[in-house]
Amino acid sequence: MARLSIEHLRKVYGEFTAVDDCSIDITEGEFLVLLGPSGCGKTTTLRMVAGFIQPTAGRITIGERDVTGLPPWKRNCGLVFQSYALFPHMTVAENVAFGLEMRKIAPADRGPRVTEALRLVRLTGLDERYPRQLSGGQQQRVALARALATEPDVLLLDEPLSNLDAKLRQEVRVEIRDLQRKLGLTTIMVTHDQEEALTMADRLVVMEKGKVRQIGTQRELYEKPADRFVAGFIGRSAFLEGEATGGRFRSEGGLDIACKAATAGPATLALRPERLAIGTEAEACANRFPARVEHVSYLGALLDIDVRLTEQDRILLQVPNRQGAAEPRPGDMITIGWAEDAGLVYPREP
Amino acid sequence: MLVVPATLFVAIGLIGPIAILFRYSLNQFIPGQFMVDGLTIENYVKFFTDSFYLNVLWRTIRVAVACTVVCLIMGFPLAYVLARTQSRFKNLLIMLVVLPLFVGNAVRAAGWMTAFGSKGALNASLMGLGLIDQPLEIMFTETAVIIGIIAVNLPFMVLTLQSVIEGINRNVEEAAFSLGAGPVAMFRRVLWPLAMPGILAGTILTFILAMNAYATPVLLGGPKFQTMGPLVYGQFAQQNNWPFGGAISFILMTATLLLTIAANLIVQRRYR
Repeated sequence: MARLSIEHLRKVYGEFTAVDDCSIDITEGEFLVLLGPSGCGKTTTLRMVAGFIQPTAGRITIGERDVTGLPPWKRNCGLVFQSYALFPHMTVAENVAFGLEMRKIAPADRGPRVTEALRLVRLTGLDERYPRQLSGGQQQRVALARALATEPDVLLLDEPLSNLDAKLRQEVRVEIRDLQRKLGLTTIMVTHDQEEALTMADRLVVMEKGKVRQIGTQRELYEKPADRFVAGFIGRSAFLEGEATGGRFRSEGGLDIACKAATAGPATLALRPERLAIGTEAEACANRFPARVEHVSYLGALLDIDVRLTEQDRILLQVPNRQGAAEPRPGDMITIGWAEDAGLVYPREP
Repeated sequence: MLVVPATLFVAIGLIGPIAILFRYSLNQFIPGQFMVDGLTIENYVKFFTDSFYLNVLWRTIRVAVACTVVCLIMGFPLAYVLARTQSRFKNLLIMLVVLPLFVGNAVRAAGWMTAFGSKGALNASLMGLGLIDQPLEIMFTETAVIIGIIAVNLPFMVLTLQSVIEGINRNVEEAAFSLGAGPVAMFRRVLWPLAMPGILAGTILTFILAMNAYATPVLLGGPKFQTMGPLVYGQFAQQNNWPFGGAISFILMTATLLLTIAANLIVQRRYR
C-alpha cells in the first residue's frame, strides 16, 4: 500500500507550468529521491506535499488521509531544510521540543522524547546550546532531530546536505540513510546532486521542466533510461543523431549501425562511454568503426577519449587505464566497437 | 580616525547646547530682568508642583504611548507584507510607505486640518452619506493629534520592522508550521521574538518622535491642547522664560529616556 500518494499534481503560475501532471506512489518506509536540474519542479512538488504551495490540480494522500487542502501544520510532515531553519532564539532542546509543545504533549513527557531524538542523531549533551554555537553539521542534525521528535508520517528533506562541506556531506548522508532505515521512515528527498541521489535512494524520480521523466531504481535508470533526457542526465551518454529503421540506425554521418530499435524515423542513438571497446576488444563487437582520437583526458584509473567517427559523428568513450596498454594520442586512428544492444534508440525530440 | 568628524559634530552640536541648556535651567527668572545667574532648582519645583504642567507631561506621554502602540499594530502587518513580497514592485511599495515623509510636518498637518474640520472632507462625506447628522468634532482634540502623529511616525515603524523581518529566514516560519504550529502560535513563538530587535528599535523611534512632536499638536490640537514640545517653545519664544524652558526640556528628555530604558529592560527580561 502506498504510504504517500501524489496523483496528477499540477502547479501553474500564470503562463508558467512549474509541475505538470506529476504522479508518484511511495511505499511505507521507502526513501524516494526527486532528482533533476534546477527549475525542474522538484522543490515545488516537495513544497506541495509539505503544504506550503497549494496545487492547481491533483491530489495528495498520506496513508488514508487526503491532505490536499490541509494547511502545513495539520499534515504531520517532518521537514528538513537546506538552511537548517533552526529557531535561533531557542536552545537545541527547545528547538527539538517545539513540535511536541505544539502537539500539546505535557512538559514532563517532552524531556525523554527530546533526549531520545538527540541521541538518534548523536548529539547528546548539547541540549542547552544555541544554534549559533553549533557547527553546520551539528545544526543539520538538530534540524533532523526536531523533525523526528514529532514522529512524522513522512519525512521531507529539501537539499539537506547542500550547505555542508564535502567530507561532512558524506558522513551525514550515511547517517540520514541509516536512521531512515532503522526507523522505517517514509522519506522524500529533493536534490540536484546525482551522486547523493544514487547513493541514498531506494527509488529515484527524474524530473525535467515540471514533468516526471522516469521513476525507477538506480539500475533501471542507468540501464534503461526512458528517454534521451534521462540517458544524458543519469550518468553520461554519447549521442548520435540519425534515422532508425527496423533494427538498424543510420547516423547523419552515414554510419550503418546494428541496434535494437523499436522506433522508426528520426532518432537519437545513446551510448554509454564505458560500454564501448577499443582496439582488439572491439573486434568481437557487432558494430566496428574506425575513429580518429581528438582528445584524451587522463583520469587515473580511467581514460576519457573523444573520438570522431565521421564529420558529424563524435562520441566519448571511457576505457580502463590498463598497465602496458598503449595510450591513444590525439590524431591516432583506432578501431572502436560496441554490442548490438549497447546502443539505445530514442525518437528525436521536437 | 573615520569616526572623528561624527564624534566632534555630536560633541559640539549636541552635548554643548544641552550642557548650556542645563545650566540655564538652574538660573533664576525675574520678570523684566530676563535671566539672572543663579543655582536653584525652583524651575523644576515649579513644574512638579503645578498640576497644569504635570497634566501636560501626562498628556504627552499618553499621546506618545497611544501613537506608538497603534503604529506597532498597524505597522507590523504592513512591514511583514513588504518584507515577504516577491513582487517586482517592491521598491515602489516601499517608496509609497515613505511618501508621507516627502511632505513637511506643517504642510501635512495643514492637510489634516482641511480633512478633519467641521466642514472638512471627512465630515462632508459622512454627512453626505447620511451616516451622521452633526459634524464629528475631530479637529482640536487628542484624537486629531494622535491620528496626525501616527501618520508621521508610521513610515519609521514600518521601515524599521521591515528590515528586521527581511533578515528572518522564511524557512524558519515554515519549519514552525511543519512542526504543527498554526499562524497564531508561529507568530507568538517564532516571528515576534525574532522580530524583537526591530520592534524595540521601531517603538523607541516612534515614541521619541511622538514625545517631541511639535507641529502636529500645535496645528491639530489647537491652542488649548498643550503638549511638552509646544510648551518648551512657548517658554522660550513667548514668555522669554529661558530657565523654565530649559527645565521643561530636561524633564521631557529625562522622561523620554527613562520610559525608553524601562520598556527596553522589561522586553529584554521577557525575551532573553
